[in-house]
Amino acid sequence: MPSTEAPTRLKQTITGLALALLPVILFILALLLGRYPIGPLDVGRSLLSPIFPQLGADIPDVARRLVLRVRLPRALAALLIGASYGGTGAAFQAIFKNPLVDSNILGVTSGAGFGAALALLLLQSQWQVQIFAFAFGLLAVGLAFFGSRLYKSSPLLVLTLMGILVGSLFGSLTALLKYMADPLDTLPAITFWLLGSLSAVTWSNLPTLVIITLLGLAFLWLIRWRLNVLSLGDAEARALGINPTRAKLWIIIASTLMTAAAVSVSGVIGWIGLVIPHAGRLLVGPNHKRLMPASILLGAAFLLLIDNIARTLLPGEIPLGVLTGLVGVPVLAFLLRHGRTG
Amino acid sequence: MNKFKTNLALLLLATTLAISACSPVATTPTELIATGAATEEPVTLTEEVVDAPFTIQADPNLMEAVAVLYQAYTPNETPAFIATDADLLVTAASEAEHVPGEILAAFMADAVLIPQSNSSDAADFIEFAISIDGQQALIDAGLLPATITITDQAGNTIEIPQPLMKVISAYGPTTAMVYAVGGEVPLVAASYLGARDAAGAAAMEAIDPRFQELVSDDYFSQSDLNIEEAARLDPDLIITSARTEWLDTASELGIPYVLYDAETPERLTEAILLTGELFGPHATAQAQAWVEYYNWLTQAILDQTETISDADRPQVLFTGTNALRVASRDMYQTSLIEIAGGFSVSAELTGYWNDVNLEQIAAWDPDVIIVPPYGGATVEAITENPDWQILTAVQEGRVYQMPKLVVPWDTPSPDSVLGIIWLAQHLFPELETPDCAEQANFFYNTFYNYAIPSEEINSICAIN
Repeated sequence: MPSTEAPTRLKQTITGLALALLPVILFILALLLGRYPIGPLDVGRSLLSPIFPQLGADIPDVARRLVLRVRLPRALAALLIGASYGGTGAAFQAIFKNPLVDSNILGVTSGAGFGAALALLLLQSQWQVQIFAFAFGLLAVGLAFFGSRLYKSSPLLVLTLMGILVGSLFGSLTALLKYMADPLDTLPAITFWLLGSLSAVTWSNLPTLVIITLLGLAFLWLIRWRLNVLSLGDAEARALGINPTRAKLWIIIASTLMTAAAVSVSGVIGWIGLVIPHAGRLLVGPNHKRLMPASILLGAAFLLLIDNIARTLLPGEIPLGVLTGLVGVPVLAFLLRHGRTG
Repeated sequence: MNKFKTNLALLLLATTLAISACSPVATTPTELIATGAATEEPVTLTEEVVDAPFTIQADPNLMEAVAVLYQAYTPNETPAFIATDADLLVTAASEAEHVPGEILAAFMADAVLIPQSNSSDAADFIEFAISIDGQQALIDAGLLPATITITDQAGNTIEIPQPLMKVISAYGPTTAMVYAVGGEVPLVAASYLGARDAAGAAAMEAIDPRFQELVSDDYFSQSDLNIEEAARLDPDLIITSARTEWLDTASELGIPYVLYDAETPERLTEAILLTGELFGPHATAQAQAWVEYYNWLTQAILDQTETISDADRPQVLFTGTNALRVASRDMYQTSLIEIAGGFSVSAELTGYWNDVNLEQIAAWDPDVIIVPPYGGATVEAITENPDWQILTAVQEGRVYQMPKLVVPWDTPSPDSVLGIIWLAQHLFPELETPDCAEQANFFYNTFYNYAIPSEEINSICAIN
């Protein structure tokens, strides 16, 4: 009936607007807040100083550099990585028809963790760690994927199983490297990397992350309606003219690239890909046409929120793993209580 | 050698006093003579010296013990005691005249052997007197106790057989303490700190040729113990960290263990004295000498720095294996900075290493940054990073790497005295604080019995 449709559409628009504004507000907050006191005006002028050098003239060099070289790349990384986890989580939950998976199910994080640990043990330099993490993340998923081809029936189940197997294989290999690492030396570095943090992000980490994440998000955005079809089942997809195997393969490739790029910069940050799509479903419903953008925006907002807390609350950085649960669970509980039902 | 002696002059006659004042073994020598050796004939001065390889001048109450040692050293021979001008003087440590800083050969509490000539026979006898065999001979004669009772740093009271014949040191810092008190002979397996890299391993092998045979980080460490391997070695004692996880398993084997917890300067001093006590009278004297050395150097630094106002003291940041990881208030590194005369900017943090962000470091804006000699940490990682150029310490080129020979000088170990000396020199280059190269030379000679090559020590101590 038109009388009820109008308010629903209005409500949808408001929800959509709020979801779009949330990451923007948190991104601005990320630039304004920090342990080093910098006034909002100075932050603004620092940001504009690369274009209008005269604006940055009377700002202390420390403040300008902190805004441009520390806060800005870190906020961008939080935005992109959060969006990446949210989007790939929603995509994986659709194609695996399982609400309890995220893009780690095929072992990308375990592979990346092993790659990073190997690089930390042997090579030490930061960009090598990033490359190794990325390459081994892809290798792990590749192994899981081709491993699953060995066994013909029920491909999705076998793929999930292979993902778990490959994940635990790389988990064991990482444990072996930790066992071999010098407790005074490389072990703390490996442990730190496995815990996940954005504190070491600089501009040099960003190019690959920006390119892969933006292309990946665009891809997920474009195929979001197919996710609805794929989540119904292979037979239904074929009936609607979609080759489900090929579509899933492309989604897996894109999501894996995105996740590997994210993990290689930030280390392992769990939870977001698993939980954020559920928050999105509570807010906008299960239709991927709306759920995909909602998951992307919520993921970005959520990681910005917890990273803002992690870097400003105490002199020491609070591990992100501590905050994902402490902040995320109350938010999710609130949504469960007040969110959309059915 | 001369350098080392002159600098020892600084090291106070007080060393002697302190060595003598302490009597870690419960019973005094005179009491022991009265109880243990009362039935034997009294030892007297030799009428006429015939064929004796060397002569001995001994305090009357120590002659008994020297005779016991001599019997054990050369059975069926009698020592040639004379009244003056002997090759060897045996006396109470408190009575002894000697080169300051020299660690005297203590064979019982407050009883030392001092060579008076360059008789090599006398030197060999001294070597024997302070060895495990010498300690055993004195125990057999009832002059030293067969067991000692100590309280370890976890508060446990343990009875320990003497002398120690087979010891496992499962914790890097305790191994360093064993070497520093000269107690390494009974080690059968040990974990080493800072000996995994090639340079550390080479230096450790130069200090102790048995290093490759003893090193067993794969079997024993704070977290892991290979129980079968421990059983095979059949040790009298395991020494390890109080944070060790496998203690219940060691209890199953019935091997006594002594636990260490030395994260503060006070606890470190206590730990080194405890190590001395475990490894016998000579180790006790050497541990006392370390404490005296530590007290001397902290005083020498304080003499130079006490007039500096708080505002003029350097603000120091001690980073960890990663440049964004900093030492908390509870860590030894923070004490090190304070003893050297600086302030730690990260002293508001608690716990262990803390991860921070660059913005926080910029808010602290340290005058000096110290990176550790492990974990792949380098000065260049900070100075060549464009983002770190905002810091005063980086702009002024005051980013330094703490040195190490084997054990990193910033860890709670005997070697940390050199970390304090080095740090004070870097914080106050204009002051006359003790010199790193000179002191490192003395330290490794005295406590590790290792003559460190001078080019090596110069490069370690170079103001970088």
